[in-house]
Amino acid sequence: MDGVLIPTLVSGLLLGSLYALMASGLSLIWTTLGVFNFAHGALMTLSAYIAWTVSEQFGLGLVMGFVAGVGAAVIAGVLIELLLVRPFYGNRNMMLITVMTTLAASTILERGISMIWGPRLKQLPRTLDGQVSLLGAPVSAHEALIIVLAPAVLMALWWYTGRTRSGRSLRAVGQNPGSAALIGIDVPRTFSLAFGLSAALAGLTGVLLGSIRFVTPGLGADPLVNAMIVVIFGGLGSLGATAGAAYVIGLLEALLVLWLGLYWTPSVLFVALILVLVFRPNGLFGKAT
Amino acid sequence: MTRLLDITGLRAGYATVPVLHGIDLHLDAGEAIGLFGPNGHGKTTLLHAVSGLLKPTAGCVRFDGQDITGAKPSAIVAAGLVQAQQGNTLFGDMGVQETLELAAFNTRARSGWQTRLEEVQALFPRLAERKRQRARTLSGGERQMLSIGCALMCNPRLLILDEPTLGLSPRLKGELREAIAEIARKGVPLIVVEQDVEFLLALSSRLYLVEQGEIARMINRADAPDHKEIMEMYFGEQAH
Repeated sequence: MDGVLIPTLVSGLLLGSLYALMASGLSLIWTTLGVFNFAHGALMTLSAYIAWTVSEQFGLGLVMGFVAGVGAAVIAGVLIELLLVRPFYGNRNMMLITVMTTLAASTILERGISMIWGPRLKQLPRTLDGQVSLLGAPVSAHEALIIVLAPAVLMALWWYTGRTRSGRSLRAVGQNPGSAALIGIDVPRTFSLAFGLSAALAGLTGVLLGSIRFVTPGLGADPLVNAMIVVIFGGLGSLGATAGAAYVIGLLEALLVLWLGLYWTPSVLFVALILVLVFRPNGLFGKAT
Repeated sequence: MTRLLDITGLRAGYATVPVLHGIDLHLDAGEAIGLFGPNGHGKTTLLHAVSGLLKPTAGCVRFDGQDITGAKPSAIVAAGLVQAQQGNTLFGDMGVQETLELAAFNTRARSGWQTRLEEVQALFPRLAERKRQRARTLSGGERQMLSIGCALMCNPRLLILDEPTLGLSPRLKGELREAIAEIARKGVPLIVVEQDVEFLLALSSRLYLVEQGEIARMINRADAPDHKEIMEMYFGEQAH
């Protein structure tokens, strides 16, 4: 057992990092608009395919692929907000309606992707070659980069939302859109900004994931459910809570796969989520208000 | 004097319920005016229709010669017409200082925001003492101060205050009124909504009585009515 525990923890850390990147994007939209973007996974997938086309088919290299992938995700994200979320602002059932409309966007994107790129599996090259040793376990340099990158991105987001004018405006709009408008913040534009930023995070995660797993139309949608568990588990809202929950879920998932196998892991994760919500209705790290 | 705000025939309401039935009101540069009248007769609706939170159904709002009827709230603030809301909680999880800094959001407010922050802190020393405190943990009076402070951070050319002393203790009321008088002395044009007509008369050159969505009466300070007459306006002849 000793020989597998460390590699399992490392793979849990990697999973946690990916969940943290995904969940922080979801949480950004949730805290600003109060909706869940079910197309977040599809944006990841779109980004990975565009990156593959630019980098492998056009032969422009991975950096250009990254830029094109993230750019495509941002454009698609802003369009989703404009066409599928904005018409329902102020509606009493906005949250439920946007569950439907963003699910629709997700389906349309996924089907469109399979139509354009076909069923053949694709894979993006790794950002870094070679291996490094982490806690004595060998890890590919690419995976190590993800493990380092995730906390760096989270810190940057934390700094942005806490210290900069536009970052603070996101929080202000999320907490009180009426008052935000009265101090001169353009609320609809801030909603677009939230979607654009969140989509950029989705794009980044998609490209990183696309060189660990095969790029398929379900690349982003598969881990999306777990990323949503992370956001709810952490206690909807704060970035720190979401990040903490991402690593807890990532490590728990890796250990459960080791102990129980892949088959029962998702069920046990859901049971854990329900138990947490029974005893801590505001999430694992949520404040009791 | 130049006309700063000119409202003509303004109508607005919520869904199918009309609230304002044609409001005419004006304010010249350097002037302060007061609005009073019973609750639920359209004072706040009027302010929301002016600041863009509510789209008017008819009529015209001109600010400094520019038609701002139905413009976006952010554009109206950028033009310099700023409103501090009634009983405002602002942004519950944001700190006092952070909120004030954010309020200097529009392009006109960005240069010289540090000076304005110092002015606001001099006007409301309590805000300077509570820099890091979150807005939701402030007392009612402090929230009101933060709300007015935020409006000042927007660098207003016309400041609208909606019942700034509502629900406060007499001592705090006095403190806030002193601060509002100070703002007026600095030459910021003001529209103040208040129930206390004597306070409004001391502050402003003209008073409007808003009743059933209309301007029921306009009072110049020169021919101000006495206390008894004001009570009659509120409660009708039969009240005494």
